[in-house]
Amino acid sequence: MPTEKSDLLQGTLDMLILKIVALGPVHGYGISLRIRQISKEVLQVQQGSLYPALHRLEKRGWLKAEWGESDNGRQAKFYSLSAKGRKQFAAEESNWNRLATAVAAILETPR
Amino acid sequence: MMWWESLFRKPDDAQLDSELRFHIEGLIEEKISAGLGPEEARRQALLEFGRKEQWKEELRDVHRVAVIESTLSNLKSALRFIRKSPSFAGAIIVTLALGIGANSAIFSALDAILLRPLPFPDGDRLMSLSQYNPKVKNPQTPIAPVRIEDWNRMNSTFQAITGYYTEDVSESSGALPEKITRAWVAPRFFQVWGIAPARGREFLPEDFRLGPVGVIISDRFWRRRFDTDPSAIGKKLRIEPYSYSIVGIMPASFLFPERDVDLWFPVPLQGPYTQSRESTWYTGVGRLKPGVTAAQARADLATVQAQLGKQYPKTDADLAAGIQPLKESTVGGVRRSLWILFGSVSVLLLIACTNIAALLLARTAERQREIAIRYSLGASRASIVMQLLTEVLVLALAGSALALLVAGAASGVFQSLAQTLPRVEEIGLNGRLVLYTAVCAVLTTLLCGLFPAVRGTRRTLAGSLAQAGRTQVSGRNPLQWLLVSVQVALAVTLLVGAGLLLRTFQALGRVSPGFDADHVLTFRISANWGETADQKGLSQRVNRDLDAMRSIPGVEGAATSLALPGVPFGNSGELKVTEGQADPNHKIVAMSRFVSVGYFATMHIPLLAGEACRETLLSSAVVNRSFADTYLRGRTAIGNHLQFLPVNPYLPTAEIRGIVANAREEGLEHEPAPIVYWCLNDPVPSPAFLVRTHAEPMALAETVRHKIHDLEPSRSVYEVKPLEEHLRDTQAENRLRTTLLSFFALTAVALASMGLYGTLSYIVSARRREVGLRLALGALRGQIATQFLFEGLRASVLGCLAGLGLAAAFSHVLSSMLYGITPSDTTTFAGVALLVLLTATLSSLLPATRAARVEPMQVLRDE
Repeated sequence: MPTEKSDLLQGTLDMLILKIVALGPVHGYGISLRIRQISKEVLQVQQGSLYPALHRLEKRGWLKAEWGESDNGRQAKFYSLSAKGRKQFAAEESNWNRLATAVAAILETPR
Repeated sequence: MMWWESLFRKPDDAQLDSELRFHIEGLIEEKISAGLGPEEARRQALLEFGRKEQWKEELRDVHRVAVIESTLSNLKSALRFIRKSPSFAGAIIVTLALGIGANSAIFSALDAILLRPLPFPDGDRLMSLSQYNPKVKNPQTPIAPVRIEDWNRMNSTFQAITGYYTEDVSESSGALPEKITRAWVAPRFFQVWGIAPARGREFLPEDFRLGPVGVIISDRFWRRRFDTDPSAIGKKLRIEPYSYSIVGIMPASFLFPERDVDLWFPVPLQGPYTQSRESTWYTGVGRLKPGVTAAQARADLATVQAQLGKQYPKTDADLAAGIQPLKESTVGGVRRSLWILFGSVSVLLLIACTNIAALLLARTAERQREIAIRYSLGASRASIVMQLLTEVLVLALAGSALALLVAGAASGVFQSLAQTLPRVEEIGLNGRLVLYTAVCAVLTTLLCGLFPAVRGTRRTLAGSLAQAGRTQVSGRNPLQWLLVSVQVALAVTLLVGAGLLLRTFQALGRVSPGFDADHVLTFRISANWGETADQKGLSQRVNRDLDAMRSIPGVEGAATSLALPGVPFGNSGELKVTEGQADPNHKIVAMSRFVSVGYFATMHIPLLAGEACRETLLSSAVVNRSFADTYLRGRTAIGNHLQFLPVNPYLPTAEIRGIVANAREEGLEHEPAPIVYWCLNDPVPSPAFLVRTHAEPMALAETVRHKIHDLEPSRSVYEVKPLEEHLRDTQAENRLRTTLLSFFALTAVALASMGLYGTLSYIVSARRREVGLRLALGALRGQIATQFLFEGLRASVLGCLAGLGLAAAFSHVLSSMLYGITPSDTTTFAGVALLVLLTATLSSLLPATRAARVEPMQVLRDE
């Protein structure tokens, strides 16, 4: 297994990718742009983490990949969510929400 | 995409490259639109993107099940697994060592005997030849030497055709005469085999003349007699009446035409027995030209023989040439036995695999939590399956290594148990066997391991169990019971086969042969074929020897016979009753045996009418009851005259003098056929001597030797052994087959009952909590035990029924090997069913009672 060079919490990158791909077919560069834009430049994804994650998710059957033409007319690999990926995303999202709520609850506990 | 496809799918390198390049170009455009120059933009983009090649490598890793690393780590985990549960691993290794070992052992015999070509250059081009008369029922006869020469000259499909004949003679150049086996060979003999002498020279054309010529000796004889002294070449050997110089020594591997040939002799082309078209004594062998098929050669020889038929209408018109691959005529007889044995060991291996699959299935079920954890750590199903398979493979390889030892030892067993098997000396450990065993290991790994691994790694199962924590493994295990039933069914099939063969043996033991083989000593006295030139002298000499035997105290009677009673000889031919026969369309075909005065008294074959052979005269004969009943029904047999067809100048008409009771001269398993006993003590120079003794026959062996030595100092006595032993030898293949099949069947039953025991034990332990609860709620211990016992028995009964069905469907392949019973013998089937159910009950009893002994409090506390 390649080591994750991300500052992100283990496993969150997958979820972010799924989330972005869920919005519509998008290529790897597009995903890295979106993560940056949506997180308002807080999260910077290393390409060295992004692509292995994309391929891993594709291999697990959560993502489908297709070659198509990009906005600037070049061939690019577009990723989209599979039915299995959609289910997985739902599970991860609810998991995350639970976790986040729990962590937040702990942090907000008055001293 | 299915999970296994990912094992084989590779990422396309060009696609990876263009995907990453697309990203870099996106970055460059981003920089340019931010105001940088193209060069600077590219530089920064590349810097930001990092080392493309490294990313690519990581991407490839995602797709590849990283073969080497994962194999290494799988191996490590497999070894750890073995260390952690040595008894489990040991059970699997031993089971496989037995299963694969037995399989490899039989394969080594099958390979050496049936599959490998004969050990001669282009051995597949060697053909064995014979001549026969298509109008007569069973007379594949040897070939006249002069006809061999004709065939060799006139054919167009053979490189060369040759012939040979072996006999036992006495060599008297040493201190004592020694019996040696000499092969008379026609010209081109060594050329046909394609093997040259290791030392010295081959025969030259001038060797094939009358008188003292050069001889070639075997490696065996060279070692025995000359202690591998190279100067043996040129030394003289004496075989009355000539001395012969040794001109060559064959390599040790050349064991033809017989394993124990000592000398090869050139047959003089002008000799008295080589010129007649009717004196047939050569076994023919030919080497095909490259690319010629046996069918083409058959057609070619048929044309040649048709031409000869026109040229010599009297002797050749009725003859045809028989042709068969030499390998077929050498090993064809044991083919069925070997395949049946191989089939049996393969079934045995299948049982072993089923057994192990059941063990692994139980094991993987226990390892659900471990598997679930690995899943949650991100392992793919393929990699977990690979890990589980590696564990099995390691066990299978260890088992195979042991199996090779078993197979290596078995080759020794073959050579001592079955010396009569053809090519048995070629069985042994070799590269092919190692390869075969390795292939077995891999196949058994897949067979035993794949199913439990795939089933055990179902994600839903793994996931739910991970969440359920300590939840009980399911107590309903239809699959495991199915595996038990399969084992029982296969074991039953083998048992039925073994049972049928055993019952045959038993039936043969009860057969009365019609002669009394007990207390009969047999031997031969060396002589050479040249002595038949003086038929009278030869006959006198044999009579003198017989008289000497009868004079020994403790000897009840003595006689000679061309062939030993009870040993198949197969000298069947067409005869004619000169007085005319009842039904002219019904040919008279009978076995011919040549016996001396005193044969029937010595062998205790009762005389029914007339008189036995009174003197050695070819003009008298005795027939058995079967002959009289079949061919001379309703008339007085005695006084009729018999004649060989086609008329043979050496065997004149004989008068039937007596009728004797039927005896199984052709072997115990053959119903007595019509037999004509010709009263002739010397049909060959060295007939078999039969001496009936009061005491143990071998006790007289030395006395017999001395007596003959006093009479004939230059002759040697050999093959001295009791008749019983010859009869045992005729059953060697049968005994080997029966012994091995019984052994395999018992091993199969042992494996199947181990499988039953193991499965039931597992199920009992998996359901301890349930049992504990039920006991706590008031269930009776007896009920619990009975319930588990019945569960085990139900699977066994189903398996047993299926096995009996299988056996009924397949037992007919044994039918040609059975005697006195049919392939659907009720006793065998019932006996097997009883044995299996009894064994099944015993193996279920222990786990079932263990279930009943569960302590409820203990179980509930454990939870």
